[in-house]
Amino acid sequence: MKKNGIKMIKIKAKNVDVFYGKKQALYNIGLDIEENQVTALIGPSGCGKSTFLRCLNRMNDVIDICRVKGEILINDFNINDKSCDVVRLREKIGMVFQKPNPFPKTVYENISYGPTIHGMAQSKQEMDEIVETSLKKAALWEEVKDRLHEPGTGLSGGQQQRLCIARAISVRPEVILMDEPCSALDPIATAQIEELIDELKKEHTIIIVTHSMAQAARVSQNTGFFHLGQLIEHGSTDKIFKNPDNTKTQDYITGRFG
Amino acid sequence: MNKNKEQLLNKRYRAERRFRLYGQSAIFMALLFLTIFIFKIFSTGYSAFQKTWLIVPVNFDAEMMMIDQNPSKEDLQDADYYDIALKSMADLDQNANDDQKNQLKRMVSYFFEKEIKNEILNDPSLIGKTKEVYLTASDDLDQVFKGNYPRDLPEDQRRVSDYQLKIFDQLVAKGKVESKFNISFFTYADSREAELAGIASSFMGSIFSILVCLMIAFPVAVLAAIYLEEFAPKNRFTDFIEVNINNLAAVPSIVFGLLGLGVLLAIFHLPRSTPLVGGITLSLMTLPTIIIAARASLKAVPPSIREAALAMGASRMQTTMHHTVPLSMPGTLSGTIIGLAQALGETAPLILIGMVAFVNTIPGSPMDPAASLPVQIYIWAESAERGFVEKVSACIMVLLGFLIIMNLFAQIIRHKFEKKWN
Ligand SMILES: Nc1ncnc2c1ncn2[C@@H]1O[C@H](COP(=O)(O)OP(=O)(O)OP(=O)(O)O)[C@@H](O)[C@H]1O
Ligand SMILES: [Mg+2]
Repeated sequence: MKKNGIKMIKIKAKNVDVFYGKKQALYNIGLDIEENQVTALIGPSGCGKSTFLRCLNRMNDVIDICRVKGEILINDFNINDKSCDVVRLREKIGMVFQKPNPFPKTVYENISYGPTIHGMAQSKQEMDEIVETSLKKAALWEEVKDRLHEPGTGLSGGQQQRLCIARAISVRPEVILMDEPCSALDPIATAQIEELIDELKKEHTIIIVTHSMAQAARVSQNTGFFHLGQLIEHGSTDKIFKNPDNTKTQDYITGRFG
Repeated sequence: MNKNKEQLLNKRYRAERRFRLYGQSAIFMALLFLTIFIFKIFSTGYSAFQKTWLIVPVNFDAEMMMIDQNPSKEDLQDADYYDIALKSMADLDQNANDDQKNQLKRMVSYFFEKEIKNEILNDPSLIGKTKEVYLTASDDLDQVFKGNYPRDLPEDQRRVSDYQLKIFDQLVAKGKVESKFNISFFTYADSREAELAGIASSFMGSIFSILVCLMIAFPVAVLAAIYLEEFAPKNRFTDFIEVNINNLAAVPSIVFGLLGLGVLLAIFHLPRSTPLVGGITLSLMTLPTIIIAARASLKAVPPSIREAALAMGASRMQTTMHHTVPLSMPGTLSGTIIGLAQALGETAPLILIGMVAFVNTIPGSPMDPAASLPVQIYIWAESAERGFVEKVSACIMVLLGFLIIMNLFAQIIRHKFEKKWN
């Protein structure tokens, strides 16, 4: 989104290095993420896309051996700073994981969990409403409206993934991180999710990891290409796909490696 | 080439058949031992659930009881029953001399006076009348009636005299000896007399010990496990603690008994021989078992669930309490029950802290002296009287039943509450 012709930067990563134990997984990443835009991260398997995504909501804290260096500014505030409250941070930065991971609870409880712990609904009706709109946005409502009180883990893989998307948007986060949200979905559900992403970007900033070039081209405005832990190239999706600066990017996009 | 392949294949099949055979014979052996064990226990123990009664006419003579014709309740309480009890037994043989009268008296338990008293307390109108009363047979006659007694031994090697046997046989012929379900085995405390010994005291002692053990060990162990698994940093120090918890689980139980003796009794002066001390001692023993089970089931909760909760903005505490701990509870609970079942069968530490003392009262609280089921087995197995042999087996049956129920419960919890996750 442009304000007075200037791009609004929501997230600014500066010199980010990530180590798993002694092994370095990301090298000196610098990337700006624009507000209310979709940014796609692409690159071959194991290049560090998920790792970078997890830096943005400090999920790497959970992994004992993982160390993150450098600055990540969200709304001009460094989230790697000691004073950062991760609970508040994660309330604002939602995440959809690569593998669907619904809670082993009912569909309803899966969605209502976030709003409950953040005190976002004053009454049962309000909560019902949040659950319904979240599920509708995630294109799941029609399929589960009669089984809201059955276990979320009983849904199909693709339905579980959409349930996780619905769960992530239930707390209306500023930023949504999506790690291959469509990897388990059929083309119809994928199209629904892509529509949803388009819709969501009006209110949220979205970062999506994807292995589908076509999807990156369809949904994103900006693209970053990772390779072996390095950010090789980033810029507007148009430019990266039509006229990349780096031959590696060119090769990857045209399917010559990766 | 082809032939070679054929041979190789045959060899592989033969190896598999051999392996199956080994496995089957191992299972067969295990089942055989188990069957022998169970059969032995049941065949010795089942008769303890029957008790032999002599049916003796008693004349409730007011004069002999030293009360008037219309006594008050207190009078009946304080009345003298010894004389009519003695007389009822002596009347079984009109021609008995003094020595024989004494022998007649010893055909029933020393409790006979009380049994007669209960009869009249239940029905005061019996005064002046004669009624046939059920009196507990002495343990030796009980064994005679059950066919466990070597009647053909020479008389001087038996505790039952020829005279007693003669009278007894007459009573049997008249149908005045009856065998009934032995309720008192479950309602009486221990006694020096086998016919009056029951497991009530040791059963309650076991229950109280287990409750105390549960109340101490469960919360402590679960909190320790949660802290170690979910919150503690993984470093040398926590590794050291982990190793030592595992060591603790392998410490022989008698060592915990010494600890109970040296610390709980000697330093804190807690009451001796009580389920309180027994329970605390057992809880030390159960603690590592529960910690290990709880940690294993916390570990089994997939990290993706924790990540899901954390990513929703749940704090670590909320993630643990809302998701991880509930999901680990079935495993923790069944581990706890198995730990308690172990504690229930524990004997050595309880002997050390004095729960082996002879207790003929039923404990009303964990602060009262009591025995426990395994210790009761030990005490009875040490006793010389023939009547205790079947009691040992019967007590083992009760203990085994108790353990089977607990393990069944653990299984049910595990199956019923186990949730499927991805
Ligand atoms: N928990 C971990 N412990 C150790 N190494 C890890 C861990 N997670 C990731 N790595 C390593 O970090 C590197 C980057 O992994 P990452 O998961 O970020 O790749 P990715 O780009 O998301 O791949 P994919 O497209 O297959 O999901 C890989 O070499 C991987 O082996
Ligand atoms: Mg990944």
